[in-house]
Amino acid sequence: MTTEGDATPVDPRDALPDDERALLEAFDRLRPQGSIRWSFDDAIRRLSEPDEVPGRPAGWGGLPADLWERGRGARASERVLGDVIRYVAQNLTEHTDRAVAESQAMAAQEVDDLRRDVLDGLRFLSARVDRLESAADPLGLQAGELVLPDVGVADWLGAAGGWVTGRTDLPVVVGELGDPGLLEAVAGSGATVEGVDPRGAVVWAVDPAVPGRTGRVDVVLAEVVDHLGELPHASRGGAVLVGCVDRASLADKVRLVDEARRVVAPGGTVALLVTDQAAWDACLEPVERDLLAGRPLHPESWTALLTRRGLSGAKWMRPTVGTVHAVVVEVRP
Amino acid sequence: MSGIHLFVPMLHRWDAVGEHTRSLRDLLLAAGVESRIYTEKPDPYTLDETRDYLGYEQDAAPGDVLVYQMATRSRMAGWLAGRPEQVVVNYHNITPSGYFAPWNNWIARHQVGALRELEVLAPAAALGIGVSEFDAAELRAAGCADVVVIPVANVELPPVEPDPVAVEALRSGSVGGAGRGEGPRWLSVGRLAPNKCHEDTIAALFVARATTSPDARLTIVGSPSEPHYARALRQYASALGVVGAVDFVTRLTPGELAARYVTADVLVMLSEHEGFGVPLVEAMSYGLPVVAYAAGAVAEVVGEAGVLLGEKGPRRVADEVAALLADPGRREALVAAGRRRPAALGLDRAGSDLVAALQGVADRRTGCAGGPVPGAPLHPGGPPSH
Repeated sequence: MTTEGDATPVDPRDALPDDERALLEAFDRLRPQGSIRWSFDDAIRRLSEPDEVPGRPAGWGGLPADLWERGRGARASERVLGDVIRYVAQNLTEHTDRAVAESQAMAAQEVDDLRRDVLDGLRFLSARVDRLESAADPLGLQAGELVLPDVGVADWLGAAGGWVTGRTDLPVVVGELGDPGLLEAVAGSGATVEGVDPRGAVVWAVDPAVPGRTGRVDVVLAEVVDHLGELPHASRGGAVLVGCVDRASLADKVRLVDEARRVVAPGGTVALLVTDQAAWDACLEPVERDLLAGRPLHPESWTALLTRRGLSGAKWMRPTVGTVHAVVVEVRP
Repeated sequence: MSGIHLFVPMLHRWDAVGEHTRSLRDLLLAAGVESRIYTEKPDPYTLDETRDYLGYEQDAAPGDVLVYQMATRSRMAGWLAGRPEQVVVNYHNITPSGYFAPWNNWIARHQVGALRELEVLAPAAALGIGVSEFDAAELRAAGCADVVVIPVANVELPPVEPDPVAVEALRSGSVGGAGRGEGPRWLSVGRLAPNKCHEDTIAALFVARATTSPDARLTIVGSPSEPHYARALRQYASALGVVGAVDFVTRLTPGELAARYVTADVLVMLSEHEGFGVPLVEAMSYGLPVVAYAAGAVAEVVGEAGVLLGEKGPRRVADEVAALLADPGRREALVAAGRRRPAALGLDRAGSDLVAALQGVADRRTGCAGGPVPGAPLHPGGPPSH
């Protein structure tokens, strides 16, 4: 029989090619296990429905079995006092059992009342948090549900490889991947590149083995900010962020910057390719423009935001012909 | 008057265990045997069909047989183990907790607890009934000495007539986003629970649309038994850009479900843990070819009548479906074999076998002759060969 709890099911994905595994692993990342919400729900359930119910203590088991071996005094006691002791013990057991049961019932009632009050309080707070979270992004639209403009980064393909040459010993994150040329440009620096995008079709379109490519390319199907959040501290040589920086809410923009600063090692670069605000408004369909959680910041606003989050010295570079600005900053120790 | 009474933690409609329990009760009543359904928790949809199990004490009659429909943890298991009546475990399989842990630790702990309860109840059971050989093996391993294999009793044979209005609506594309268009229509039926691995089917559909079948569509019929998982499936479809090609449907009438089977082109079932797999049999009954991952009891149930996969990478599944649909001869051969499969599995006599087995247990105490010999296989020559 299956010994669940002990055995981990064999993962049928083990033998799959990388691109198929990337698709399926994107679903794994949607599992809530380990999240604050998952832990909260689990804690509430444990409180509401505890596994174990304390049992009644065992009753008196009678005279010791080895009484006979204890000698004449014991034998005499058994003969003379045995019946009396048995009678007293039985009565004592019954009274004790009744007292224990009554005190347990009273204690259980007290604990139940307290637990109910605590749970009510926690549920109220939880509902408030849910409402606040949903107010921040009431529609919760996924990137795949929207037709997002492909940000034209042609102006920066020549420069992108140079931005990440400071730490080519570490992988460089590139997200998102609307223009595959950006991935190739960064890979041209010789660094290993992690391409990240939340859109399955975009990830699937990346060719993992382009002839003549200098660096290695891995692709991940995920929101860029979530992917950065899973990476170890100072584990990446750089981050080139595009697309996500435009459509994220202000809170998520700050989170993107914070995560990028955390994962990029000193000497590495954080480069933001941000769409011109007027061009964004002009190129987006009304539905996307109205329903997206965020819109692009002005490059000066990005510079200010980066500075406030500990990345000072950012350079704003204007496009020559396109509509995408570059804001580039080196991560210092 | 003694009876054969059924105990199930909750009696759900549109659920394999729930419908099996209701069917078994009806079969027993039709055979003149008194039978009631007792539950630990009431379900609003079946409230008038059930009684609280603790109330059985007042209803108990000498010679009663108590049949426990076991698939999850319940206080009833320990209570039944202590009853003086003969207890039968009708085992529907316990989903390994590992599937639920990343989504819902409460359900995972329940499944671990259910296994412990099985280990207590199985050795004390007068009879264990597995709905497949896969399940029977688990019962034996848990210590049940007397085990027989009898498939589920709630598969309608001949199958329910499809609802003509629903068929017309699906064919004309007036309902179901994923039902519209001319591309292949994939169907997947099963609760939205992690062991069913609907995400693998969505990933395979995504690859099919990116490679062989740009217009392929998928309908997933099943109730969301784990909300986080159900939500993640929708998010995943969104991330893959196939949200318009995947339709999530629940609460269908039997006629509406039948309409889904007869208007689809293929049933794709990539579940990793199946104690039986009723949708496989339903699909075969309706002439719908099956592509399934050979896990649990799936290979037993499908036999040679479907495409069984040893691995289920999205590309492999997409290719297998495309190859099957592109080969009318092969498709027809599988459909013909599938229509014969329910009888080969003994589903046409599952109800009477089940009643006979339970009456046999009841006769053991009263010493009556006539029922099956205790412990003897119900199917001459051993259990069914599925």
